[in-house]
Amino acid sequence: MSAAENLGDLFNAKRVRRLIKLMKEHDLSEIDLKQADQRVRIRRGGEFVASSGALSAPAARSAAAEPSVREPVADSRMLLIKSPMVGTFYRASGPDSAVFVKVGDRIGPEKTVCIIEAMKVFNEIPAGVSGQVVAVLVENGAPVEFGQPLIKVDPEA
Amino acid sequence: MFKRILIANRGEIALRIIRACRELGVETVAIFSEADRGAPYLELADQAICVGSARAADSYLRIDRVISAAEIGNVQAIHPGYGFLSENAHFAEVCRSCDIGFIGPTPETMERVGDKNSARALAREAGVPTVPGSNGLVANEQEAVTIAREIGFPVLLKATAGGGGKGMRVAANDLSLASAWQQASAEAQAAFGNAGIYIERYIERPRHVEIQILGDQHGTIVHLWERDCSTQRRHQKLIEESPSPRLPPEIRRKMCEAAVRLAKTAGYYSAGTVEFIVDQQDNFYFIEVNARIQVEHPVSEMVTGIDLVKAQIRIAAGEKLGFKQQDIVPRGHAIECRINAEDPASNFRPCPGRIDRIISPGGYGVRFDSHATTGYTVPPHYDSLVGKLIVHQPTRQEAIQTMIRALRELRIEGIKTTVPLHLEVLANTAFHEAQMDTTFVERMLAG
Repeated sequence: MSAAENLGDLFNAKRVRRLIKLMKEHDLSEIDLKQADQRVRIRRGGEFVASSGALSAPAARSAAAEPSVREPVADSRMLLIKSPMVGTFYRASGPDSAVFVKVGDRIGPEKTVCIIEAMKVFNEIPAGVSGQVVAVLVENGAPVEFGQPLIKVDPEA
Repeated sequence: MFKRILIANRGEIALRIIRACRELGVETVAIFSEADRGAPYLELADQAICVGSARAADSYLRIDRVISAAEIGNVQAIHPGYGFLSENAHFAEVCRSCDIGFIGPTPETMERVGDKNSARALAREAGVPTVPGSNGLVANEQEAVTIAREIGFPVLLKATAGGGGKGMRVAANDLSLASAWQQASAEAQAAFGNAGIYIERYIERPRHVEIQILGDQHGTIVHLWERDCSTQRRHQKLIEESPSPRLPPEIRRKMCEAAVRLAKTAGYYSAGTVEFIVDQQDNFYFIEVNARIQVEHPVSEMVTGIDLVKAQIRIAAGEKLGFKQQDIVPRGHAIECRINAEDPASNFRPCPGRIDRIISPGGYGVRFDSHATTGYTVPPHYDSLVGKLIVHQPTRQEAIQTMIRALRELRIEGIKTTVPLHLEVLANTAFHEAQMDTTFVERMLAG
């Protein structure tokens, strides 16, 4: 943004969208902007909680790791694989390894879908369900909380 | 000073800690269980992380998840509040080994004062009077009888790992001692996984008077005078106040000095409370140490003007206390009523549920510490504390009048609360004349 374009209205939707786009372009995981008593903080991936501000702005939706797909009409049949712990989400067992699952993969309940690292222990998380991976909801390396949806699966595909 | 702190607790104390942090310019990470999801106080934290499902054992007590939350939340320290993990020395040890500050005393100190039996030994070492009793755990029933005869009946059997009045039985003579022994051990085993029992002389109509202490990591320990918590029901505190009415100044002074001496002997720092029992002849005896911030800490804050939670955070960050004992001058009289979601008319049945409307009282000398808001649902999984109403006035009589006024102004609709009970106590002559002891409420209720 140009210097002349001061932060002005921090919660202008156009501006927020632009910030998210900039974050993707530059692969930023988090930005935190403050002006007077207004503040916005945007983090990619993971659960976001609204920060303090003079205006009660809607929380910026966490940018999905996969391109956002138009939700299918039959979304109610989709299953969510949720995090059973608090930790950091990894899509592969190492930085040079292939991801465990990607969109389109068919999986069974025993299939390891991700690793969640908690207190230096790497936990392999099994799918627990069968079906086709429709979306990966969390960015690689992002923090996750208990119960957070990680992967969306279509059981009928 | 820390940049970010995780609050390993919920409800009103979590809110209390968040407020202190905001004033200190410290960022906050709150944790919550699925039963607390959406609670309005969570929005006041900079970040909130879900750590499990409703049951405390699956969430607030999960050390692994709390530590994970601290790691992903990037905090430098954890404030444990009261209850939950606040007196868990193992948790404090885990924090230390993960290089996360624990806002409280060291694990070693917590162990030393946390076990009731070892705390009694500590008191004896510090020259602090203890209730005549067994020197350690009692091995069996026969030994119990011998000891009881030595110290004199009636006796109180207490679980060493106990709390909240569990694992306690009174025995008036040899005959009732046998069954008291069986019951106390069984209850202790079931509630705490530790059947260890010790014996004390049972003090009739005792007053419960506790001393607030505060120490920094540089060796300074002070007291913030006393709180009288005699107004209890089934060993649960209902009303607390400071100063303790009818406590002779000399006894007060000795108790405060004893508390500081004990804390020094234990190498204590951070906030803590030394509990005493005072008998009808004004003899005082050490009972236990609560190595944490307590529910009723606001009473001492009002009377001394010291913010105890901020002090804890500063102390944990390595700061010096900044004041000396002679700077702590108590002023006026403070009273606190614990407002619980319980129905006094139905034997104090817990009343979780949705608060359709809440109106907080205000005015000069009134403080209401509560996480509840209109539309908030009190979950059934945790304690029933909805809020603490505290008043501070120049005299006890004025404080009582203000409390009555504030209780009447307070409106909590949709659930039953203990407000009617508080009003009944505050109208009672024995309370006005400060003739309370720990049996007072139950005697009043029995009519």
